[in-house]
Amino acid sequence: MKIEFTKEWCLRMAQLEAETPSNFEVGASPLAPEETMEAAAVEQSAASGIVFGRFVRLMRRKQRLTVEKLAEDAGIDVVELVEIEEDSRHTPEPRTVYQLATQFKVPMQGLMQLAGLSKAKDARLVNEAIRFAARSEPVADLNEAERAALEALVSVLSER
Amino acid sequence: MSIDVSKVFLFDNSAKNLVEAELLDAIVEKQLLDWEDQWIPARDEVNRRLKAAGVDRSKWPQTGHWSWRDKQLGIKGSLSNPSFCVVHADETQGLMILDTLPSARLSSQAGKPIVYIDYLEVAPWNRKHLPGDVPRYGAVGSILMRAAIELSLQEGFKGRVGLHSLPQSNDWYANKCGMTDLGPDPAKQNLRYFEMTPEIAQAFINRGS
Repeated sequence: MKIEFTKEWCLRMAQLEAETPSNFEVGASPLAPEETMEAAAVEQSAASGIVFGRFVRLMRRKQRLTVEKLAEDAGIDVVELVEIEEDSRHTPEPRTVYQLATQFKVPMQGLMQLAGLSKAKDARLVNEAIRFAARSEPVADLNEAERAALEALVSVLSER
Repeated sequence: MSIDVSKVFLFDNSAKNLVEAELLDAIVEKQLLDWEDQWIPARDEVNRRLKAAGVDRSKWPQTGHWSWRDKQLGIKGSLSNPSFCVVHADETQGLMILDTLPSARLSSQAGKPIVYIDYLEVAPWNRKHLPGDVPRYGAVGSILMRAAIELSLQEGFKGRVGLHSLPQSNDWYANKCGMTDLGPDPAKQNLRYFEMTPEIAQAFINRGS
């Protein structure tokens, strides 16, 4: 559809926009801050913290990155990354999960579930996450068992 | 798919003059690439500035985790979800997705069809993030709002428009656009719901006369 805009109208509206400190963003995203905070309060548990922390650590090691390098590459705060890996009670920021999903090339919705920021709807993912937590050990090198556990979880995440 | 292009004008805040731009009645791959290649790096730079300024994360842009590619994928082929974008200097300056199925909530309009703005976002460089920030181009948000109103008129909805505003945008929709604030909506993460009557829609169009 074509719409006629005059210069005068556009100029007047630009002036109006300049008069307010406000921005223009609209939209209730499924991951808007209020909902993610509420979901986090309900869903976040030590179990999801352990699974998500171990997942991030193993994916980082698989990519042969230091914590600092991963933080830099993913554009996230190094302090938060340390907390994710070390503190099972830590609730990650939605943006951080988004950045990590991009960095690790896994679907964001699945990673949000894994991080306890959205409600788990996929029983297979939940089961695989629990098996992953049980099989993975945070030692220096990625051993075959860890690699297999990591790849099994990534496979379920990627099917979604 | 044929795309209609309307000539619009943005206010270049550094040159202090109007520049010609285009309003397209579609979001295509070019816009999604612009979002990935230009908006995301610009947004990350904004976040670095906010962090350096000591701004609490809860005050950072609430669209930081939005994926326009996912949103566009979600409405692919849907005739009830038209979309618009503003383009200038070969860069996408603003994006909007609409929904023509919802009904009005205002008691005076209850049950009547509206154009509902699902999502509206302007490029990170066209926003105010810190005190003293001057957007690169003005009028992008207004032009998208006008497009929603014009679609409402074309559909026979008489200019009725509804939306859920993110908190940093409430002042614009309440006080500059004159929309009625129906308060926080628990079904939409407690975002405030605003609605525009046909009279206010006409007043918005007449602003520049």
